[in-house]
Amino acid sequence: MNSTKRKLGIRPCTWVYLFLITFTFVTSMVGQMGLGGLTVSFLILLLALLKGHLVGYYFMGLGRVKGLWHWPVFIWLFIPGILIGTAFYLTATQA
Amino acid sequence: MTATTETLSPDAAVRHPPGDLAIWIFILAELTVFAVFFAAYAFTRMDNVELFNEYQQHLDQRAALINTLALITSSYFVVRAVSAIREENRRHCVAWLLAALAMGALFLIVKIGEYQHHFIEEGVSLSTNTFYMFYISLTFFHFMHVIMGMVILAAVVVMAARGKYSAAEHTGVETGASYWHMVDLVWLILFPLVYVMR
Repeated sequence: MNSTKRKLGIRPCTWVYLFLITFTFVTSMVGQMGLGGLTVSFLILLLALLKGHLVGYYFMGLGRVKGLWHWPVFIWLFIPGILIGTAFYLTATQA
Repeated sequence: MTATTETLSPDAAVRHPPGDLAIWIFILAELTVFAVFFAAYAFTRMDNVELFNEYQQHLDQRAALINTLALITSSYFVVRAVSAIREENRRHCVAWLLAALAMGALFLIVKIGEYQHHFIEEGVSLSTNTFYMFYISLTFFHFMHVIMGMVILAAVVVMAARGKYSAAEHTGVETGASYWHMVDLVWLILFPLVYVMR
């Protein structure tokens, strides 16, 4: 975790943790409700990519790394994200 | 590495990621393998949509939720352990790492329960169908990484308890933390892809 500046007396990493937990409950609720389809899948995928970005940027500390090492997790999320999104899009449009 | 710089100025920009550079090469290799697995799952699903959707409903959503919460919480505890050692607080560093290990153990227990249900009660195997082939391969590969991460964290705990790390030199803690966050990161994509998206 890079930053030590606190908001409302709470560490930035704790805010990130609370966001991650909230997004996880939203994802799980969608799963338990059995919701599906292209829009829902895309939203869940975007939420997962955002969670991954938060982990890379804040938890792994890549947010304050300059240069080449700033990007690997972002790129890693982007490429499978595009591939998974494409596969689900093609599946939905072919059906 | 970056430990000394971070101790002097925690918010300063650095040129290298936290921890040993070698672990980052390893992390990138692992992430690449998982990316290929994820893409293979998504594209194989294209020709087996009904099968994947049907058997996805057999998975335990509640167990997946508990496991996701356990890994996110453990990652948060590891972040706090790194912060503690940067503040020269070895006792808190050890305590946060032990808490992270406990969350890792919870993940393993829940996952073993899930496997027991599928393998023993349902008689599922790699050859049952394509969905279960991916489910078992992906989750078990990740399961092995959780065990590996716990071994690394346990080694860091022992070293920290022996006073091997300080605010000035804690590369080992950051190295273990980086690997553990990678294990969490992979699960954050695996969970929605295998358990939720349909």
